[in-house]
Amino acid sequence: MDILYLLIPLSAVLVLAILGVFAWALNAGQFDDLEQHAEQILAADEAAFDRHQAP
Amino acid sequence: MVAKAQAAAPVTYTDETVRGFALAAVLWGVVGMTVGVLIAAQLAFPDLTYGIPWLSYGRLRPLHTNAVIFAFGGCALMATSFHVVQRTCQVPLFLPSLAKFVFWGWQAVIVLAAISLPLGYTQGKEYAELEWPIDLLIAVVWVAYAIVFFGTIGRRRVRHIYVANWFFGAFIIAVALLHIVNSAAMPVSFWKSYSAYAGVQDAMVQWWYGHNAVGFFLTAGFLGMMYYYIPKQAERPVYSYRLSIVHFWALIFTYMWAGPHHLHYTALPDWAQSIGMVFSLVLLAPSWGGMINGMMTLSGAWHKLRDDPILKFLIVALSFYGMSTFEGPMMSIKTVNALSHYTDWTIGHVHSGALGWVGFMTIGSLYYLIPRMFAQTRMYSTRAIELHFWIATLGIVLYIAAMWIAGVMQGLMWRALNADGTLVYTFVESVKATWPFYVTRLVGGLLYLAGMGVMVWNVWKTVRNGRALPSPIPRLAYA
Amino acid sequence: MLGCAAEIDDHLNRGRNMDTRTSRACILDAGQARVTLGAARLRNRSYVGTPNEDPLACGRAPADVPHSPVIDDPAELAAFTRWDSVAGERCIAESSLRIAGMHCAACAATIEQVLKQVSGVLDASVSAAAQCATVRWDAGLTRPSAFVRAIEAAGYEAVPDTAAAARALRRTESRSALWRLFVAAFCAMQIMMLATPAYLSGPGDLAPDHKRLLDWGSWLLTLPVLWFSAAPFFAGAWRAIRQRRIGMDVPVAIGIGVAFVASSGAAFDPGGVFGADVWFDSLAMFVSFLLGGRYLEMRARHRAEVSLEEATACLPQTVVRLMSDGTVEVVNAKRLRIGDLVRVPVGQAFAADGVLAEGATEADESLLTGESRPVEKRCGDAVAAGSLNLQSPVLMRVDRAGPDTRYEAIVALMRAARSQRPAVLASADRWAAPFLWSVLLLAGAAGAAWGLIDPSRAVWVVVSVLIVTCPCALSLAAPSALLAAAGTMGRRGLLLRRLDAIQGLAKLQTLFVDKTGTLTEGSLRCVKTQRRDFSDAATTDESLQGIAASLAAWSSHPLAAALRDGFKAADMAWHDVHEIPGQGLEAVGTEGHRWRLGARLWVGARSTADADGAQTFLGRDGRVLARFEFDERLRDDAVAAVRALQADGVRVCLLSGDDARRTQRIAATLGLASSAGGMTPDTKLAAVRSAQGRGEIVAMLGDGINDAPVLAQADVSFAMGEGALVARSQADGVLVSNRLSDLVRARALAKKTMRVISQNFAWAAVYNAACVPLALVGWLPPWAAGFGMAASSLFVVLNSLRLAGPLTSKPERALQARVGAWTSSTC
Repeated sequence: MDILYLLIPLSAVLVLAILGVFAWALNAGQFDDLEQHAEQILAADEAAFDRHQAP
Repeated sequence: MVAKAQAAAPVTYTDETVRGFALAAVLWGVVGMTVGVLIAAQLAFPDLTYGIPWLSYGRLRPLHTNAVIFAFGGCALMATSFHVVQRTCQVPLFLPSLAKFVFWGWQAVIVLAAISLPLGYTQGKEYAELEWPIDLLIAVVWVAYAIVFFGTIGRRRVRHIYVANWFFGAFIIAVALLHIVNSAAMPVSFWKSYSAYAGVQDAMVQWWYGHNAVGFFLTAGFLGMMYYYIPKQAERPVYSYRLSIVHFWALIFTYMWAGPHHLHYTALPDWAQSIGMVFSLVLLAPSWGGMINGMMTLSGAWHKLRDDPILKFLIVALSFYGMSTFEGPMMSIKTVNALSHYTDWTIGHVHSGALGWVGFMTIGSLYYLIPRMFAQTRMYSTRAIELHFWIATLGIVLYIAAMWIAGVMQGLMWRALNADGTLVYTFVESVKATWPFYVTRLVGGLLYLAGMGVMVWNVWKTVRNGRALPSPIPRLAYA
Repeated sequence: MLGCAAEIDDHLNRGRNMDTRTSRACILDAGQARVTLGAARLRNRSYVGTPNEDPLACGRAPADVPHSPVIDDPAELAAFTRWDSVAGERCIAESSLRIAGMHCAACAATIEQVLKQVSGVLDASVSAAAQCATVRWDAGLTRPSAFVRAIEAAGYEAVPDTAAAARALRRTESRSALWRLFVAAFCAMQIMMLATPAYLSGPGDLAPDHKRLLDWGSWLLTLPVLWFSAAPFFAGAWRAIRQRRIGMDVPVAIGIGVAFVASSGAAFDPGGVFGADVWFDSLAMFVSFLLGGRYLEMRARHRAEVSLEEATACLPQTVVRLMSDGTVEVVNAKRLRIGDLVRVPVGQAFAADGVLAEGATEADESLLTGESRPVEKRCGDAVAAGSLNLQSPVLMRVDRAGPDTRYEAIVALMRAARSQRPAVLASADRWAAPFLWSVLLLAGAAGAAWGLIDPSRAVWVVVSVLIVTCPCALSLAAPSALLAAAGTMGRRGLLLRRLDAIQGLAKLQTLFVDKTGTLTEGSLRCVKTQRRDFSDAATTDESLQGIAASLAAWSSHPLAAALRDGFKAADMAWHDVHEIPGQGLEAVGTEGHRWRLGARLWVGARSTADADGAQTFLGRDGRVLARFEFDERLRDDAVAAVRALQADGVRVCLLSGDDARRTQRIAATLGLASSAGGMTPDTKLAAVRSAQGRGEIVAMLGDGINDAPVLAQADVSFAMGEGALVARSQADGVLVSNRLSDLVRARALAKKTMRVISQNFAWAAVYNAACVPLALVGWLPPWAAGFGMAASSLFVVLNSLRLAGPLTSKPERALQARVGAWTSSTC
């Protein structure tokens, strides 16, 4: 199982990278005010495409 | 700079690429499934293709898997990820010309695969059969894809990154990592290379790749689709947004080590097999969390399922997801695997996930997306969608029922021992016994393909009646 | 565009007294250059820690923007504005506003656009969920009143967000907690994967080299857990040791430390003294669970704080000050100085203590004395802050200024809520020290004993003993229950300032209640309509009431308000309306008659013998038609609440500063055991003390300034939400809903809470009694000890969460979502 010498360090690096990404997201406020974002994608921006003219 | 001044207020989304990928997905879906029907027929009628080398089963099977996963699934993922990232970030794509390159590059990969695989050029690694030049092309196109996707997120006007984008992002990065590691090879000629790993080490890497390909390509990516298109089609927000975030991180936590469950009772060390079993079981929890979250989005609006066939596709996709993510862990238990390994039960499991979860989620999302790419709100014929749904569902049911029965039967037959320890059945006897189920499966597959035919007709009509107009970006960005 | 962002960053980093690191969320293309500032990571400073700058000190103030004494006053600004940079030409400030009237994300976007269009506003960010806005503005170009006006013009309401500091603190705290929890849980999962082969492999299956690789990987992944997640435990333990006492963190820190050191030894030197077994996975796992429990606790605490803030946000108070040259100016009440002359119109409260300099009036001093009758004030009489001017506009001279600001009250309330150590916790602390010492001694003894019996196991037994004795169950048992209950009570109308109040509430035997404003509503009600003239058969009581209500609409006098609220106004058009101070309202009705509503003699009554209590007369063309009598209104649920408490075994007594006869009447209506009227604060205090002297646990419910000393004396005290500020700040809890029935429900919940706390303690005791011997004997490997400790704390927290109650009703769920947004808002 010498492949572990590749897979284990790889997953350790991956863990540290994922921690980094989480830290960035946390500081950028990605986890604040969660519930409103579920509604936001339903906002009426799609109405625009219905009968629009090319700009 | 003139360009900068003109780009001052982006007015429309970049949808040409989305359109292209969406239509390509339909096309490759039909192609890939046709090949699938063909090889299913070959299993039942081996002389079907008169021994023509480039129509032989051994060469067509990888064409089928690559076509449905990377061509059909891949184009669908690229279409929807480009669509979702633009709509949720309220900006057009980053570097639209690079996005075009991604499109044509990916089509090139597919065409090269369609040519090289029947010609017999293969690395022999499941879902990674393509030879090294194509692997390099895939890597280049994938990096471009990542640049466009993450660049678009970087330029977003909406501060919060919607959860679907997290799933897409994880899928993109994971696939890049997996592809590069697993496809590491030493080329010896233009069409031949040898894997950087050997023996059981190669097996471990291959199935670390293989299972994570399923986990990130076919699961995380499509979960991204699910978290956008179900709320949009149902016109209701995700049941619990907080849960969707937790779901994402929980999935990321656990997927990496489930691979060894493909290698039970092989040369892989016992403890490695056990880890695969344990963590596959652990995976059940986050998967079902996501499924429940998606389904409960319809809570209070279940009546919509009655009349909306697109919602039917999307929600039934989720139930197949739940089923597969239950069946999978069960099958990774060693005792169960002792029966199921190498049988058609595995094929049944794959196809309930592929036809049910991946297929239906793609179809539903494309039925939502395609009209909107052509300045319309609905597909040309809703009744055709309904027809497609029922034909396809019947097809899946026939398919997986046939494979379950066949698989269990095979497993039991292969391990049946006489009192003196000899095998009761010869191998060919199990093949004979399987034959009726191969035919049933073929019928199921044909039905599913027929459903796709209905879809092609519907898409054709929709495109003919619509116009490819640019979609304006809303003025006000929500925070 | 990048230049713009860098410039702002520069301003921030050079900002005085700010120790911040900002994170830029995104930078857009030039046309929509908007630099969105992520949260500033505050280290030592609260949001409003920066000494506030007078805009004039910047050297520039916008000349063409009207100055509002209300919001633009620097004293007021300090509460909701932070100055980023004062050096150079620009003074950049960031203000937080609360917005009302937003329904959705689109509203937020609209308001953002509106704000950005105000010249001088650099950036605005509005959160629909948290209902607040953050505005960055240039003090040389605009003032807060300008953008508040812009928001109001768009149809929304904006008030300064004085709770922004607290919210920022909560956000920082919540983010740190989430980060620590995530690191611990994520790394724990990965470490568990790396550790599983060792558990699953038989002897000889796992090559030693591979095992070492897995151990090293586990070691590496444990480092973030120690560095980020376990830091609070080490810090807490260090603090405790420095203070020469032993806190809950000490055994946890020792356990973690020993486990890590020994596992590291085993990982890098398998043949050495620490043996070959590593326990990184147990370590990471129980750190995760501990942090998980604390995270849930923190969220409960934040929810309680948020409810408190929501209840107390409002506009600053203004007064009209008479200048020496005869002109008047409107100023912020905070700006009053001794000797200022202040105009007090009818219906407004006196903003400070002082004397009447000019004019005569009647004042409503019910908040101060409980006296429900208006008190006559002549020139030279003292008036008190908080009493209402009832009759005519007067001039007062300020004797004592410096009113308590609402902001200070909020911050003080919250600080108090955060830092109070309830007695029940104190009792846990009392146990804690001996308990923990004995644990340490036991661990040491076990180590010594095993060192003789089987040295290779000694370390692990010590670690197991230290870890399995869940001090966390003890430390979580009471706080988690109290916090969950406090949160639920907060949602149901009773905000607690001290968690101790829960215990008092559960155990109370005697409840002293105030009358005016507590059992009765603050406003008056018309109780009797007495017709004085029966000559016109067509007129009825109702028609007269209707006419009175219609005419009363023209006045803001409290009695007029009572008429308006009590009766349906008739459809009459009035013209020639005059309000004569001290007398009443006069107007001409549709049919041409001249009507008067007000004082007895002025309206035309001749006789003087009338009942006590407030009254007003209605007359037409000089003849009295009706007399309206007013009285206090008993709260709707007062009777039911009192009955419920009495049925529950609580003795309810009424103490009032008001007239004895009126007090007696109310007591009879409620069926109270005893009542006393005409009490002063001293006599009230004496009554409470004597009850306490008899050994009773006494609670007090009041609202007035006169109740404040009593509220402080009682074992547990509650103030009405509508009550005087000083009463609210003295009480252990504030009944913000003003519903007495909420107090009754809170008592039921308090009793349940005490039961849950006992259950938690019992569990902790049983668990320790069972597991410590097992660990001592060596039958509990560290992974089991860690699991047991984690499961035990989780059990306690989950048991306590039963008090939080299910959020079944939609309104509660909606409130929860809003409250949830507040705990981690981005403003």
